[in-house]
Amino acid sequence: MKNTRSYKIALSAVLISLAAALSYAERFIPLGLIVPLPGIKLGLANVVSIFALFFLGFRTAFVILVSRCLITSFFGGFSSLMFSLVGGIMAVIMMELLRKCRIFSIYGISIGGSVMHVTGQILTSMLIMKSYYVLSYLPVLLVSAVITGIITALISAQVLKRAEKAIKL
Amino acid sequence: MLTEGLFCKKRIGKRGKMEYKSTSLVPKKADILIIAMAVVMAVAVLAFFAQGESGRVAVILRDGVEIDRINLDKAEKSEITVEGDYTNTILCENGSIGVIHSDCPGGVCVQSGMIKDAGKSIVCLPNRMEIRITGASDIDVMVG
Repeated sequence: MKNTRSYKIALSAVLISLAAALSYAERFIPLGLIVPLPGIKLGLANVVSIFALFFLGFRTAFVILVSRCLITSFFGGFSSLMFSLVGGIMAVIMMELLRKCRIFSIYGISIGGSVMHVTGQILTSMLIMKSYYVLSYLPVLLVSAVITGIITALISAQVLKRAEKAIKL
Repeated sequence: MLTEGLFCKKRIGKRGKMEYKSTSLVPKKADILIIAMAVVMAVAVLAFFAQGESGRVAVILRDGVEIDRINLDKAEKSEITVEGDYTNTILCENGSIGVIHSDCPGGVCVQSGMIKDAGKSIVCLPNRMEIRITGASDIDVMVG
């Protein structure tokens, strides 16, 4: 019964709205008070990407990501759509590749994803600003990506553990 | 349609195990490789900028965003216009840089004159514009 297309679509829809809500709620976390650097986010929406990648597969995770980016762009604007889309797509591709390797744990996958996310965002801003000096901000973002990657992996591991019991698929 | 993910028989597997079971939920040694990759990327970028950045570089920012960057040791005479709430006209000449004209109230930026030493800066608060001269060593400061 549950192993149907409609169940998959319904679950995807829930995940899209959850991801959109998380990336909006993230703005209210005053991370700037702890690390006074611009452009650093926790990446909570990445938890949804990881969950979707493991439970629904790469293609569905990709669709969920793109839909989430389109929805959040309603309150972020076009340039933020570019940033989140390029970063997010690179992250989800990287996470799928790392998962296929089968030698990394969820921590490696999550860190790899967030590292690619910031790299994608820097590449986008290089294209928009037409200057390669924004690249000099990358080392700072990479350090923060490793830390936030570990945090999202911690959350994802807990979510996956519990979801296995809750969603008897 | 259901060719991948949990809904695929292949993924659920013969023993009914879920796909993510192949991924450990606790850290593995291989994860260090990923962190190492991030560190290598960071070091490579830092090395690239440490090498490329020689001498005095004037950075022009508006609203904290870098809009232009001039190597004062190499630059020819040039004029840059920064538009915002007000308009600043910046002149770069003989290795020094300064605001020669501005329609902002006060005109503190014009009175600051020409600067040429690393560490010096000119600020136009009404236009939220800043010119900063960085030397070869203080690359970490430029990310403002």
